[in-house]
Amino acid sequence: MLQPIISPPPPEQPTTGPVAVASQAPAAPPALAVRRRWLEFKQPVSTSSKLLLGISAWILFLLGWHLAATSGTEANPLFPSPVDVSDSLWNLFAERGFHSDVLASLQRILISFGLAVAIAVPTGVLMGAFPAVEAFFSPLVSAFRYLPAPAFIPLLLMWLGTGDTQKIALLVLGVIWFLITLVCDTVKQTPVDFIETSRTLGGSRRTILWTVVVPSSLPGIVDTCRQMLAVSWTYLVIAEIVAATDGIGAMMMRARRFVHVDDIMAGILVIGALGLLCDLAFRGLHWLMFPYMRRR
Amino acid sequence: MNAALEIECGGLEVARLGKIFPGRDKPVIAVEDVSFRVEPRQVCILLGPSGCGKSTILRMIAGLEQPSSGGISLNGNPVVGPHRERGMVFQGYTSFPWLTVRQNVAYGLRINGDAYALREGTVDHYLERVGLSRFADAWPHQLSGGMRQRVALARALATTPQLLLMDEPFGALDAETRWQMQELLLNVIRKERMTVVMVTHDVEEALLLGDQIVFLSSHPGRVRTILHPPFKSDDAICTRESLRAHSDYAPMERDILSMMREEGHNH
Ligand SMILES: Nc1ncnc2c1ncn2[C@@H]1O[C@H](COP(=O)(O)OP(=O)(O)OP(=O)(O)O)[C@@H](O)[C@H]1O
Ligand SMILES: [Mg+2]
Repeated sequence: MLQPIISPPPPEQPTTGPVAVASQAPAAPPALAVRRRWLEFKQPVSTSSKLLLGISAWILFLLGWHLAATSGTEANPLFPSPVDVSDSLWNLFAERGFHSDVLASLQRILISFGLAVAIAVPTGVLMGAFPAVEAFFSPLVSAFRYLPAPAFIPLLLMWLGTGDTQKIALLVLGVIWFLITLVCDTVKQTPVDFIETSRTLGGSRRTILWTVVVPSSLPGIVDTCRQMLAVSWTYLVIAEIVAATDGIGAMMMRARRFVHVDDIMAGILVIGALGLLCDLAFRGLHWLMFPYMRRR
Repeated sequence: MNAALEIECGGLEVARLGKIFPGRDKPVIAVEDVSFRVEPRQVCILLGPSGCGKSTILRMIAGLEQPSSGGISLNGNPVVGPHRERGMVFQGYTSFPWLTVRQNVAYGLRINGDAYALREGTVDHYLERVGLSRFADAWPHQLSGGMRQRVALARALATTPQLLLMDEPFGALDAETRWQMQELLLNVIRKERMTVVMVTHDVEEALLLGDQIVFLSSHPGRVRTILHPPFKSDDAICTRESLRAHSDYAPMERDILSMMREEGHNH
C-alpha cells in the first residue's frame, strides 16, 4: 500500500510481518557460547546470587574497616573498629536512653514529611492536570527549588526559635519544591487517550481527575515520595546538628565535643538503618497498593 | 452549527465539515467541506490515504475536536462536545491498567452513576459478546493486544451509545488477530444493531464491515467518492473466506486499491 511522502504525522502502520520475524530472529545460541560467565551484559542474576553478592560486599567492607582500624600498634580514638562501634551502639540504647533521641528524630521526619506530602501532592496533581495551574505555580516553585534549604536556617531560627517548629519548617522547605515538581511531572505522563476515553464515556472534569488522572499517576507519586523521604533524612541531620537538644544529630554533636567517635559512627549507622527501613516500608506500600504492577 | 440544526432526525449527519489547524508557520487545512450521512444501524467506513483527515473527522464526531466550519448532528441533536451517546475505541491500548477487565468494562456505567446490580448484568453481557467472560478478573497487562481491544470495545458498548466510533481499532494488531477481530466485530455489530463510524487503512476490513465507504482524498481532506458495498448486509457473509468468495468482492477491492494508488501518486 502506498503512503504519501509529505504527510507530517508518522503513519501508524500495523505491525505485521517485520515484528513477527524479529521475534523469531535470535536463533538458539551455539552450544559453545553457553558457558556461564560472571560478567555478562544485561544478564539477570538469580535472587540467591544477588543476596550472596550483596552480603559479600558488606563483609568485605567491614573486614577492611576492621583491619584498617586495628593495624596500628595502639587503638586510634579517632578511628574505632566496627566492634567498638557496635559496642557503643549497644551501650547507647541499653544505658544512655538513645531511643528517645531516635524517636524525636523519627517524629520530626514523620510530621514534616506528612505535611510536605499533604501540600505537595494536591498542588502537583493540579499542576500536572491543568496547564493553567502549572503556569501559575511553576515560576514560583522553580525559583524556590534552586534555593538551598539550609540558607533559610538563620531566618527560621529568628522567626521560630530553636524548637521543633523550626526543624519541621526546614524539613518541609527542603523537600516540598522537589516533591511538587516531581508529582507534577508524573501526573503529566497520564496518557491523553485515557483522558479522552473517559470523556467519550461521559466523564466530567472532576470524574476524570479522580478516576483517571489520580489512579494513573498514583504509583509514580508513591515512588516519588519514597525517593524524597531519603532527602528528608539529610535535612533532618542538618537541622539537628545546628541547634537541638535531642535527636540523633544532637547526640552526634554531643559526642563530638567529647571525641566519642564510636558514638558518632553508631549514630550514622542508625540513620542508615532507619533510612533503609523507610525505603522498604514504601516499597511494601507500593506492592500492597498496586497489585496490577506485581510481576507474575 | 446552523447547517447541522436544519437536518431531519435519525442517524448521523455530517454537513460541510471543515477543520483548520493553526500550523507552525501557516494554517493546515486538514478537512474541507466533508458531508455524508449514516443511517441508523449502518456502518460507515472512512477510508483514504494517510494524513487525509480521517482521525480528525472522527474526533470531531466524538466531540473531542471542534469543527472550524460546518456541523455534525446525531439524531437531530447538534454535537457540541464528548457525550456517552457517542462511544469511542482508540487505536492504542486504552484499557486502564489499574482496573480489572470487568472493572474496565463497568467504568463508563460507574462514572455515570448506574447502580451496581444493573451494572453487573450489562457488564456480563458485553464480556460475553466479546468472548472475555473467562478473563473478567484478569489485569489488562495479562492480556494480548487483541484481547485488550476487545476490552475497549466492550467498555465502549456497555454505556449503550447511539453511535460507536472506532479509529483504526485493529491497527496495532498482527494480521491473524486482525482477521479474528474483524469477524468478531461484524458479529457484534450485527447482534447489537449498532450505528458505527470506523476509520481504517485496510481495504478488506472496509469491505467486510461497511455498509458505506466514504473515500477521502488528501490535502485538504475531501470526500472523493462514496461506495456502498453489499457484503455486510448479507448475513451469509461472516468470515473472510466467504467475503473473498463473493463475485463482487474482487472488482470492488481493485477499484479501491487503484484509487488509493492514485491518491498516493498525487503527492
Ligand atoms: N493537532 C493537530 N495540529 C496540527 N495539525 C494536525 C493536528 N492533527 C492533525 N493535523 C493535521 O491534519 C491532517 C490530517 O490528520 P489526521 O490525523 O486526521 O489524518 P489521518 O487520515 O487520520 O491519517 P492516518 O491515516 O495517518 O492516521 C494531517 O496533515 C495532520 O498533520
Ligand atoms: Mg489517523
